[in-house]
Amino acid sequence: MEQSKQLIGIKEYVAIALLMIGTKLTDDTPSIIFENVKNAGWMTPIINGLIAIIPIYFLMKVVTNYKSKNLAEVTDHLFGKFFSFLILLLLLAVGLSAVIIDTAIYTDIIGTMYFSKTPTIIIYGILMFVCAYGASRGFEQIGSVAWIVFPYLQGSLLLALILTIGQGNTAFLFPLFGPGTWEVVKESSLKLSIYADFLYLFLFYPYIKNSKVFKKGTWLSFILIVINMSISMACYVFLFDYQSIMQLNYPYHEVIRTITFGFMINMEALFLPFWLIASFVRFSIYLYVIAILFGHLFKIKHFEYLIPSLATSIVFLGMIPESPTFAIFNLRENLILIVSPLFFFLPCLMWLVAKLKGEYKNANKKKVG
Amino acid sequence: MPIRKKLGRIIFSLLALLWLSGCWDQKEVEEQAYVIGIGIDKAEDQENRVKITYLISNPEAGATAQGGGSGEQPREIISFVADEFISSTNLANSVIAKQITYDLLRMIAVSEEFARDEQFIRWIYDATKAMEIKRDIKFLVTKEDTATFFQTNNPILETRPHEYFEKILNTGFNNGTIPKSELNQFFRITEADADLFLGIYSSSEKERRQQSGEDPHQITAGEFQFEGETNTTQFIGSAVFKEGQMIDSLTIEETRLAILLNPTLKPGFFLGTLPDPFDETYRIVIRVENNGPLKVDMKLKSGTPNIDVIVPLTIEVLSNHSMTDYPKDAEKRNKLKKSIQESLTKKIEDLIRKTQEEYKTEPFGWSLIARKKFSTLSEWENFDWMKTYPDMNTNVSVQIKLGKFGRQSDLPRIEEIRD
Repeated sequence: MEQSKQLIGIKEYVAIALLMIGTKLTDDTPSIIFENVKNAGWMTPIINGLIAIIPIYFLMKVVTNYKSKNLAEVTDHLFGKFFSFLILLLLLAVGLSAVIIDTAIYTDIIGTMYFSKTPTIIIYGILMFVCAYGASRGFEQIGSVAWIVFPYLQGSLLLALILTIGQGNTAFLFPLFGPGTWEVVKESSLKLSIYADFLYLFLFYPYIKNSKVFKKGTWLSFILIVINMSISMACYVFLFDYQSIMQLNYPYHEVIRTITFGFMINMEALFLPFWLIASFVRFSIYLYVIAILFGHLFKIKHFEYLIPSLATSIVFLGMIPESPTFAIFNLRENLILIVSPLFFFLPCLMWLVAKLKGEYKNANKKKVG
Repeated sequence: MPIRKKLGRIIFSLLALLWLSGCWDQKEVEEQAYVIGIGIDKAEDQENRVKITYLISNPEAGATAQGGGSGEQPREIISFVADEFISSTNLANSVIAKQITYDLLRMIAVSEEFARDEQFIRWIYDATKAMEIKRDIKFLVTKEDTATFFQTNNPILETRPHEYFEKILNTGFNNGTIPKSELNQFFRITEADADLFLGIYSSSEKERRQQSGEDPHQITAGEFQFEGETNTTQFIGSAVFKEGQMIDSLTIEETRLAILLNPTLKPGFFLGTLPDPFDETYRIVIRVENNGPLKVDMKLKSGTPNIDVIVPLTIEVLSNHSMTDYPKDAEKRNKLKKSIQESLTKKIEDLIRKTQEEYKTEPFGWSLIARKKFSTLSEWENFDWMKTYPDMNTNVSVQIKLGKFGRQSDLPRIEEIRD
């Protein structure tokens, strides 16, 4: 499985990042944000984006300082074996629970919105089977698939948003600051971890062509994600107004069920396949991330072989919660709150340690020498 | 090689889609009974139950590609008492052979009696729970029981019910005789708790009493008197909902004005009549069209809140029964303009006064404009639109631009003909 050492370019990398993080706007992340920030929910991605620049910037400084070392190896290098193990174990735990919760949510979406009679285990099983297959094909394959499907997914989202704006009312955005300026900033920053996935993107560093591509790609996808999230959330408010949107579980899916395109009603039939493909790619990436971390932690060289068993255990763990729409919603909300400080402080800490150890000077010397 | 791999991946994903459409949720079009409309009435003597009526469309009826030409009816109607309209599909299936589905549901009808009931809101929210019900379906109120409504409704030409309802509701909205009334709006307005919601008002029974007043546009559902060989169902005016409960109904004219005064709606044009300023015995036909966007200016923060509304309209005068000489006499045109302006302003003011005094809030969506004046939600909620609106000063000014005077603008002088 060493063949996946082929390096990927900027297109594939940006597509991966967008599918991994941007897809969040179609699940219940918007509901979690709207719950406290109400009609000013569209500002949260922007405010969080501004804050998230700090950890991403630091992390970028640290990781790109080393050639072809991923986040895990850099942590090993900086913190020493024991602490690094703890940190990576925490990252693995967070990542794994995120995957379990998210896949359970997506299964719930498919089950409640589209296939109400199909047993959950079947939906979950097929979802994870497809994703495990995708993930086990290797990173560079995921990259090409992400790039192939990305234009269509972005196109379908754009179409949905255009139709929403046409049928919505911009007046619903007012009063502009929702629950109050301070409240918006505070509640937003608590949910910083909607961008925490960027942390995991740094695991892919060795697979990217060079550090320039990685830097450019990360920032580009970051900007695109912020724009995508913010505009979509504004569009949800246009269509439903804040009181109604706080009651919806999955705004995107209510949107595509509500909008019509001329004589065409039942538009969700058009959008569902695109969304499904996006979900498949998204969880393939996640599975791969988990596998990398797991493999690194427990010294398993051919970590791709882990993916099927990881996928299987995810299915069974994800099936546990009762009435998933509520239970998982709460779990997810808590996870978001817990991860936010981790996402913010870990990169800062890493940068500080690297600085104290004098890593940057060494690197510069090396270059000079 | 990579291309083949990519292809393989795409084909694989597509195959996966096929599996996901699965056996459990597989639906054969031929094996479904498509409910086009649900009717909800109060169940007699049973407080916590409702009477459900299904209007089921037969997609085969009247299709041109029909083989054998079966004489099947275009629709099927069933009414029964149930707890709500989600589990009721199973009950109905004990009579109807095909699996009942809401996939193509286009409207929910509620009898006026039930809509005026306090408990109504509890039942209508079931529509947000059911998986198949979409939020863009129409919401209408029937004067009589919905069961009677669906049964009496018997269109002669558009016999297939889905086609009939789509056509008649569209035409009605375009003419301004009924409001748009989607379920989504109903929920949104009820939850925002500031404006009134206007639902489509309809009836399948003609009222026996004579048409009241002189203006044929001052009627609501059931009051339109007509003869001939046609359907008896009429969709006229709107049902007014406040806080999820029906409180009144509006006539055609009031509905039109409400659409006209709503900045969020884009009305087309509609026809109406006004008294002729040159001869009180006749009325002139006018074609009203928006001439630019409605301007609503609000001063809410200091003293008594104030609303200034400027309604720019283009008016075409399409009849001239007093046979006045408009083309050559600018003064007469001015008089006409003034008279139209006055009577329209008065009508609008009357409607606004009615909303302030009787309903205590408005159906024009003005609260959305007021929201822009506030920077936070708590300020807006403290302002309490429903409490403050009745005491606001409103100034309406109608700005009129006279358009065409019909296809032929001049008429012969009546004095010359009759001399």
